[in-house]
Amino acid sequence: MHGDDTRPWTFYAFAAFFTLFVLFLYGPMIVIYILSFQGPNGGMTFPMNGVSLHWFSALVSQTRVGDIAGSFVRSLGLAAMVAVITVVLAVLAGLAFRRRFRGSAFAFYLAIASLIMPGLFVGLGIALTFRLLGLPTEWFTTGLGAQLTWTLPFGLLIMFAVLGRFNRSYEEAAIDLGASNWQKVKEVTLPILLPGIIGVALFGFTLSYDEIARTALAAGAKNTLPLEIWAMTTNVTSPTLYAVGAVTTIVSFIVIVLSLGSIALVQRRRAAAGARTE
Amino acid sequence: MAPPPAQAVVEDNSGERASWFQVAPLVVVLLLFFGLPMLVVLAVSFFDFSRTEIIPAFIFDNYIDLFRSEVTFRLYASSLKFALIVWLVTLVLGFNIAYFLVFHVRGLLFQIGLFLLCTVPFLTSNIIRMISWIPFLGRNGIFNQALQGAGITSQPLEFLLFSDFAVIVAYVHLFTLFMVVPIFNSMARIDKSLLEAARDAGAGRFRVVAEVVLPLSRTGIALGSIFVVTLVMGDSFVVRTMSGGQSASVVSALQNEVAALQYPPAAASAVIMVIIVTLMVAAILRVVDVRKELAG
Amino acid sequence: MAPSTPPPNGEVAVVGVTKRFGETTAVRDLSLTIPHGSYCCLLGPSGCGKTTILRMIAGHEKPTSGDIRIGGQSVLGLPQVQRGTAMMFQSYALFPHRSVLDNVAFALKMRGASAAERHAKARELLTKVQLEKFGDRLPAQLSGGQQQRVALARALITNPRVLLLDEPLSALDEYLRLRMRGELRRVQKELGITFVHVTHTQLEAIAVADMVVVMAQGHIEQAASARDIFVAPRNAYVARFVGGQNVLAGSVESVMNGTAAVAGKNGMRYAIPVGERRPMRGSPLWGSIRRDRIAIEKIAPGAKPASGLNAVVGEVHTLENQGSYVKVTLDLGDSEEFVAHVLDETFFTQPLDIGERVVARWSASDVKLLADGPIAEETAPAGTAMATAG
Repeated sequence: MHGDDTRPWTFYAFAAFFTLFVLFLYGPMIVIYILSFQGPNGGMTFPMNGVSLHWFSALVSQTRVGDIAGSFVRSLGLAAMVAVITVVLAVLAGLAFRRRFRGSAFAFYLAIASLIMPGLFVGLGIALTFRLLGLPTEWFTTGLGAQLTWTLPFGLLIMFAVLGRFNRSYEEAAIDLGASNWQKVKEVTLPILLPGIIGVALFGFTLSYDEIARTALAAGAKNTLPLEIWAMTTNVTSPTLYAVGAVTTIVSFIVIVLSLGSIALVQRRRAAAGARTE
Repeated sequence: MAPPPAQAVVEDNSGERASWFQVAPLVVVLLLFFGLPMLVVLAVSFFDFSRTEIIPAFIFDNYIDLFRSEVTFRLYASSLKFALIVWLVTLVLGFNIAYFLVFHVRGLLFQIGLFLLCTVPFLTSNIIRMISWIPFLGRNGIFNQALQGAGITSQPLEFLLFSDFAVIVAYVHLFTLFMVVPIFNSMARIDKSLLEAARDAGAGRFRVVAEVVLPLSRTGIALGSIFVVTLVMGDSFVVRTMSGGQSASVVSALQNEVAALQYPPAAASAVIMVIIVTLMVAAILRVVDVRKELAG
Repeated sequence: MAPSTPPPNGEVAVVGVTKRFGETTAVRDLSLTIPHGSYCCLLGPSGCGKTTILRMIAGHEKPTSGDIRIGGQSVLGLPQVQRGTAMMFQSYALFPHRSVLDNVAFALKMRGASAAERHAKARELLTKVQLEKFGDRLPAQLSGGQQQRVALARALITNPRVLLLDEPLSALDEYLRLRMRGELRRVQKELGITFVHVTHTQLEAIAVADMVVVMAQGHIEQAASARDIFVAPRNAYVARFVGGQNVLAGSVESVMNGTAAVAGKNGMRYAIPVGERRPMRGSPLWGSIRRDRIAIEKIAPGAKPASGLNAVVGEVHTLENQGSYVKVTLDLGDSEEFVAHVLDETFFTQPLDIGERVVARWSASDVKLLADGPIAEETAPAGTAMATAG
């Protein structure tokens, strides 16, 4: 099925199926972005009753919809913190797992258990722990910790994939040429791993920015943006909800495009390198 | 699931010590915010409670109440039903999408592009993706308008939104990616010439898939299944929103208990749930030894 | 590329080295001395431990026991940079994110040289490998042969006394491989430093090396000059692995005038020179005969094959034209491959066909005794006490 010029009929069947799937993925999302421009008198579904930015302005002006602006700022800050911590800790741990060490199985299964544990339970556990310890829960302490139990294992798995393709002789060559351990990491290992590390940061940021299950019970009094939106779904019945959705998705897209753009930039510079030197 | 095999054997301790320092921060964070809290949940599941506080004790009442309640079994039946249906649907979708991307799409750039097209939604808000079905499935939603416009039905279909159907649609929408990505990874590692060899040996299109592709992508299928099953079993937000409160899951019931500050029963419920999810994961791992295949 | 001062002593000595990886022993009590300024090839099939030895000399692996000495001094525990070794990696390991110039200058950067200084030196080396125009390129933008030369320049910038090459030609196509191996040999002669080159290709080792070390399963089978390895293999393993020889095996019938008459399978009989030794009757003995010292004659259909000493009868199994000679493989009815290299002129005056019955003859003086196992030692030379019989 490769190398001949005519496509088998199954290709077209699969292509149609794939197109439907992509429509299924994006269709509903696109609809709510359209509906967020609903006229001031429009409802939550079609038809469009005019086109306006009414619901976007309502986001900032109406107090009734809650603390959107505040939660938005909190979520961005939290996501940035999570991304930085995830990159540092996951890269370090990924490097550690290249050697055999006692306790590696424990560390690995701890991470996997943390990854597949239902998120709400993690939040519940953190809330209970801090309650028993008499400590307050805050978005920037317990909320941060709760999200890390999700982003760190993810980051670690990405690092496994990245390091699995990393040719160790680059590091040996550096040592051979007189690099110290630190010079080796700084001059060779990290630059070569850079695309993967950007990937870890991207995942850390967006997983945190959209996280709800773990954060719900661990974030304390002040909501993150997804929690704020979650609260809105039960009491807001206007296209404001869609406007929030459009804004938050735009933020996600900016982050994704920036990350993928920088990965592509790095990759393009050494596009064919893998084929020849790995 | 195992860490990649160490590439160099270390005989002196300096390497091991370096590894400990490197892995320690991650382990400390996970122990503090995952290990310890889970132990606390286990402990609290044996606690007593009153209307306002939790009382340290060692009683089995929370578990006994859980197993006495008929609601528990209904909730588990409901959660398992969702898990099974969503697993089947995402498996079929995920396998075919991965198959298309790996074996039908030509050109690496095009393949990466289509793969990203599938993955990008994963990086946007789940809640927004979930509520984006509301204008679609609602009583006056796009789907009903289209059906009536086409004269297929005269009355709007009521079961579309705030129903089990809506819950499943949202789950499939949110979780199919967790199936696509691991299966894609497994399939991408299959040597294309194996397929050609099978076809040369006279296997038809479907025999090739059944005899070659399916066995060789079972690691990905197992990993994807673990993701999907644990995500569905652990969910409360989708089932609440999309069923309009008509359906419940084990975890959404637990969330109600937490809201009512009934922590010990909630903790007991969580412990049972963790045991059941662990058994399900173990069952999947029994069928496919993911560890052996990832190491090799 | 000749350095202004003569290079420091680059004699490499591997002394009783054993290397274990967990349960498996990669190198077993191995000793080897590579003279200063020589080109040494470690030759063997994959898994024989040759790369492990190279990596222990470089300091990327530590011997489980034994010592590694360079220039007479033990280098165990010394960091790579103080050993005066440089390594060229199998896939070159050129840093993909750095320009060719920065790759070559890397070692000087690590030593704290200024940008101007290290770039000047790197340019000098690039000029010597004829890549001065490619300094700003990335490794991925070069061809395989160019990458190999960059790797060579990068390794040489620190003026090492020993250059270690791990399968340096394996990533190249046939044409470049032949060209670059001559180039490596030329560079080594110019610099006068020790080269240790790991390869699994027999002809590559014989083509470039002063000294060839044939290895199997973690030990040395023979360490000798390239010529000796080819014309006088020590044992059947080396004879078979290096090629160019047929192994003659059989049991001793009689010994006379320093020559043993040996009976092989299927009634074949050979003469093997044994010198002063007196192998016991009935004991097994091995010899070798060069493939290009064999004459082939057709046997007319129905004719009785002329048997006798130093001749074998068989069917032509395969024919491969190698240009200047034709490789004729005979099926003698046993498992041992028997090959004759027949000069093209000789062959084409009376071409053979596959399946034809032929007799292959050689002169007894071309046969060499192989030292295989304790069997040849079983009988002591005349004048000493009889060794214990097996």
